Amino acid sequence: MQGPLIDTLARQGVTRRTFLKYCATLASMMALPPAAGRAMAEAMAAVRRPSVIWLPFQECTGCTESITRSHSPTIEGMIFDMISLDYQETLMAAAGHQAEEARQNAMKANAGKYLLIVDGSIPLGQNGAYSCIGGRSNVDILKEAAGGAAAVIAVGTCASYGGIPKANPNPTGAVPVSDIVKDKPIVNIPGCPPIPVVMTGVLAHYLTFGSLPELDDKGRPKSFFGETIHDRCYRRPFYDQGKFAKTFDDEGARRGWCLFELGCKGPVTHNACATVKWNGGTSWPVESGHGCLGCSEPDFWDGGGFYKALSAPADPLKFAAAASVVGAAVGVGVSFANRAKKNKAKATHETITVADLEK
Amino acid sequence: MSLDAIPIQVVHTTPPGEPGLTGNAPPLLRELLEQVERLLETGVPSAIDLSALPLTPADMDWLRNALGPGEIDVTLDANGESTLSETGCPGVWWITHRNEQGAVTSQFLEVTFVPELVKAHPQDVAMGRETLERLLADL
Repeated sequence: MQGPLIDTLARQGVTRRTFLKYCATLASMMALPPAAGRAMAEAMAAVRRPSVIWLPFQECTGCTESITRSHSPTIEGMIFDMISLDYQETLMAAAGHQAEEARQNAMKANAGKYLLIVDGSIPLGQNGAYSCIGGRSNVDILKEAAGGAAAVIAVGTCASYGGIPKANPNPTGAVPVSDIVKDKPIVNIPGCPPIPVVMTGVLAHYLTFGSLPELDDKGRPKSFFGETIHDRCYRRPFYDQGKFAKTFDDEGARRGWCLFELGCKGPVTHNACATVKWNGGTSWPVESGHGCLGCSEPDFWDGGGFYKALSAPADPLKFAAAASVVGAAVGVGVSFANRAKKNKAKATHETITVADLEK
Repeated sequence: MSLDAIPIQVVHTTPPGEPGLTGNAPPLLRELLEQVERLLETGVPSAIDLSALPLTPADMDWLRNALGPGEIDVTLDANGESTLSETGCPGVWWITHRNEQGAVTSQFLEVTFVPELVKAHPQDVAMGRETLERLLADL
């Protein structure tokens, strides 16, 4: 990129006010003080492009889709243009040996300075043979690339916490980046997929302040993962009033009441969906009537059922009474209720499915 | 296909007798008072990030009604529409940024004589000067 960013933007038809407006919104999403938008705009206009190497491992490309197909391509894309993306298998034109060569060249030319982005988990089973690129195992490539990186950004729940590949029984022996890389700063941007602006926000923070944002105990940027979905949910007042949807099509559901009893994992899930929303701010899971799955938390896939309420017994008959006592112990109640149901079904020769137990 | 074609209607309106107020809006008036005093005494502008606060649509309406309408509305057409409206309390501006789809991306209350976004940047003014000079040269 030649010259200040603001000139580059102007050439592409983006005015100063458009950029300022974008930075104000980005600063707001990052929980920075309102005045920070201007500082960000000024700082980002002047920085040098850092080299970025993006390694995809055991992943579904959903993270890449989420980030590259963001709804306002003009500016989000421009933040992306502010980095020099030297290796990204899915996006790069080069393939095969040329692609691998580009990675090696970027690593040599920017040793100690490049940002390493990883999406997907790393399989350790069978000496890493479950996922290889160019005949080399993921773990091997990661160790090499992390060696020369300034910092590692783990994009998506798989890279952050192992995600679906690590789900019980974890056939490939999948582990997150943080299990392999121990000597570099790591930022986790979990989510299945992660919210595009969180990614942009971390990059903007790095470009503005030259450092990574403050992280929580699970390695996530506090500005986006500091609060739970529940904390910021627009349906929260209904929870406080004890008004819950009991099924997906009852009066409560139609009135937009709290989805806690339908298994919403909002109270234990840290993410920014409730404020940033999805698809260019159109909506988000709870707004479209479905509880949060908790996809930005470790081991969300093994959390014991998406439609089981967090801390209430699963027996529908006892549901209404028990749900008001938030914090009641689950484990025993659930297994007991399920066993009773199974025995009753046996006695009456009813067929019972896993789906029935989940009810 | 328009959304109206879907037969199921999601009703978001709060039940009668429950206006959806959380009580989070009134304290903002006190914060605004302090910011207005600071502006008057020191000339330093400040802002409140409304999208960072747990306010329901009803809270927002309450706050808007409380502050009342002002005399000036500025519309900024930059990657979606933004509105910068002075409220009934001069110096307190309600700023709403929208994206190209029309969804609200961020909302601020700015306490300032004129919001920064309204002012032209010197570099942009310099570009305007060049345009004028070119126009004159072509006469």
